[in-house]
Amino acid sequence: MKKRLVTVVLAGAMCMTMGLCAQAEESNKVTVYMPSPSGLADKLAEAFTEATGIEVEQFQGTTGEILARLEAEEANPVADVVILASWSDGLSMKEEGKIMSYTPENADLIVDGWIDEDSMLFGYSASAVGVIYNTTIYSELSADWAELAGEEYTDDIAIPDPEKSGACKDFLAGLVTGLEDGEDIIQSWADNGLTVPGANKAALEAVTTGEKGILIAGVDYNAYSSIDDGEPLAIYYPESGTVANPRPAMIMNTAPNVENAQAFIDFLFSDEAQQLVAEAYLIPGRSDVECVGRTTLDEIPQLPTDWDAMIEVADETAANLNEICQ
Amino acid sequence: MAVKIRTWIKENIGLAILLILLTVLIVCPLVMIFARAVFEDGTFHPGQAWAVIADADNVETILNSLLLGVCVVLCSTVIAAPTAWLLSRTQLASHGWLDIVFMIPFMTPPYIASMGWILFMQKRGLFQQLFPFTGSLSENFFCFGGLVLVMSLHVFPFMMTMLKNAMTNIPASLEESGAVFGAGFGLRMRKIFAPLLTGNYAIAALLVFVKTLAEYGTPYTFGRRIGFYVFTTDIHRYATTAPVDFGSAASLSSILVCVCMLLWMLQNHITERTSYQLVSGKGSRPYRTELKGIRHFAAWLWIVLVLLIAVGVPYFSVIATSLIKLRGYGLAAGNFTLEHYKELFTTKKSMAAIRTSLFLAVSSATICSVIGTAVVMAVKRGKGKLKKIVEAVSLLPEMLPGIVLVIGLMLFWNAIYKIIPLYNTLGIMVLAYVVLYLPYTVQYVTSSFTQINDSLIQAGRTFGGSPAYVFGRITFPMISKGIATGWMMIFIISFRELVTASLIAPPNVLVVSTYINREFEQGSVSLGMAMAVLCVLITTTTLLIMNALTGRKKHK
Repeated sequence: MKKRLVTVVLAGAMCMTMGLCAQAEESNKVTVYMPSPSGLADKLAEAFTEATGIEVEQFQGTTGEILARLEAEEANPVADVVILASWSDGLSMKEEGKIMSYTPENADLIVDGWIDEDSMLFGYSASAVGVIYNTTIYSELSADWAELAGEEYTDDIAIPDPEKSGACKDFLAGLVTGLEDGEDIIQSWADNGLTVPGANKAALEAVTTGEKGILIAGVDYNAYSSIDDGEPLAIYYPESGTVANPRPAMIMNTAPNVENAQAFIDFLFSDEAQQLVAEAYLIPGRSDVECVGRTTLDEIPQLPTDWDAMIEVADETAANLNEICQ
Repeated sequence: MAVKIRTWIKENIGLAILLILLTVLIVCPLVMIFARAVFEDGTFHPGQAWAVIADADNVETILNSLLLGVCVVLCSTVIAAPTAWLLSRTQLASHGWLDIVFMIPFMTPPYIASMGWILFMQKRGLFQQLFPFTGSLSENFFCFGGLVLVMSLHVFPFMMTMLKNAMTNIPASLEESGAVFGAGFGLRMRKIFAPLLTGNYAIAALLVFVKTLAEYGTPYTFGRRIGFYVFTTDIHRYATTAPVDFGSAASLSSILVCVCMLLWMLQNHITERTSYQLVSGKGSRPYRTELKGIRHFAAWLWIVLVLLIAVGVPYFSVIATSLIKLRGYGLAAGNFTLEHYKELFTTKKSMAAIRTSLFLAVSSATICSVIGTAVVMAVKRGKGKLKKIVEAVSLLPEMLPGIVLVIGLMLFWNAIYKIIPLYNTLGIMVLAYVVLYLPYTVQYVTSSFTQINDSLIQAGRTFGGSPAYVFGRITFPMISKGIATGWMMIFIISFRELVTASLIAPPNVLVVSTYINREFEQGSVSLGMAMAVLCVLITTTTLLIMNALTGRKKHK
């Protein structure tokens, strides 16, 4: 009986030492949580390691998955840098006091407004949402947001799930706060048979396969890369304007490797990283880096964006859309 | 008194150790979750949990879940029962390859199968491309019935395997004596066959019901398309979309736990009243009905039909999608390519994902087999309340949607990170899988145990066999089939587990399912489907090897 107890205790002790050994090797790494297109995330990590010798541990997931992970890990934070696909979610993290301030290299070159006044959110890239349509179904399309409620498009319109897609959520918030009849427009889409096929890619998939003809608020970089592959798709930005959504990179207050985290943020604004961003069809975060194969920022008609007002309504609008489209 | 205590300890030491182990593994994470449901910022708020539960929307999703569960159990029974009978009691039983083929729907990750159905039936989907003259007929598939069918097609092999094993063990003598006394086929079925199976059927039905309640992939892809929302999709939404609300997720989960516990008690009651010990020392042979002529033909027609729907349709979609070059042009000459497979085999990331999944599947299946068998043995030998508790705890994970336990595990292992830094290593994944799938071993081993007659073990003891010897020579060979089936099941399921991996995998670690999911969400659907095909090929091969190994043992 005593022998057994001893065995159990020994086994427990062994587990602990094994665990401790696993923990010991953490001097030279940085842990990054990011939702960006996976190809880009991998390339960024690889290039960063090559440039600095610091290993990148990455976790890739949707914005929701990343936030859930952060909450679960509160007692034992492991993330150094967190990147989200939604500026408003980034601002909420700042409000909750979760992130720290830093002035990255090349900060003066960052696009106006893509770094917040406290220097905590670094918009290293951005995407905008537009209308993506299947060219085998519509040879030409340029309808404005409100016109997509027209009966020629009944039951043929889709939208990404705004509770999954940060870009779509921020767009809806921008539409509601930026246009007087924003809410009515959203309701009129719902009445016109708007469906919510899933997150960004799943929604685009529905349009690529022709199940639906038109994707409202589809993220543009997905469309550009599919068009480049040869898929029968086209994208435009309706004339009332859209929301260009900077993707904030942030350093966690609880980061175990602060210096490496700062190096990673510096790297995001380097020539090399910005070039990778551009090649992924995103809008680069530095004003002096040019877009590749896509509409540039100044050519995109934009809604008036008041982020403070948008944060107020963002979650509610997103939940409401899912509600009325059921 | 002291002697009494000492004998009690001696009798129950195994149970006690297992109970401590299971408490740490299963109960502690659950307690974390429930605490999260009723405590907010350190103060006690039971009303908050009740408010979530009583919300009209939540009541509706709860009813939806229950309705879905019942319908899927019925539908799977309709598919599984005749098939199990054909494959165990007629000459079709000699076609061993059918066993493997019928496992394919179960080996297919549910999110892949339902994607397959959606791509097949949707507007401008594969069906409409193949048969343009049918117009929009196939779109009618997107209704509650369609959802039930898709989910049943995934779980019926589960029920079928259990029923088939039980049917094989019913000796011919029982049916023949019925026949001697003049009972016809129908009467024999009703009065001999069915009652003997009730216990096993109750277990299988419960498993299917709980699996349906806990299933996330199909309701998420197919269910939301038809506006049918269930427990798991709601819990998942609460737990993974900002703002994250573990409290509400936990409150909903607690009802699910209660419902499943009630059912489990019911099943236990039925099984206890109707279990018969069919495997004894006496020689017995299974009975085989020889089907002739039109009946033989009808039997094969049924088998082919089931396979066509359960395997043919989803796989046609999956394979076609993995070969299509441009999604926008669909099935068209010249639009096919092997490019996606080439990419799969030449990138380090996909190969690493497969390796990690294999490692996780093998290690968790093996650990589960050891712990699970120990639990069943201890429970069989133990006495009193303690054994009930151990059994209940070991089965608990099966009663819960995976996501609930996983979140509990995350919270718990983070809380004790300072003591045991297991979180954020591969170890936590193995641990999570072991916790989630332990019930499989317990159920399968228990199922094979209920049919072993005690006299066999008593005979071993009478002739002086030590407990170890009796276990090695009598018990183990009798239950090895149950252990092997459990191992295989766990291997298959953990190889493709999605929800757990997506939440708990350490940064930088990709498994097959998260790879596929990421390709679906951010990369190329075709590449994801190519990975799915490869994934099923791997599990099928493993199944074949396992079958060959256990089959050979039998002949010796």
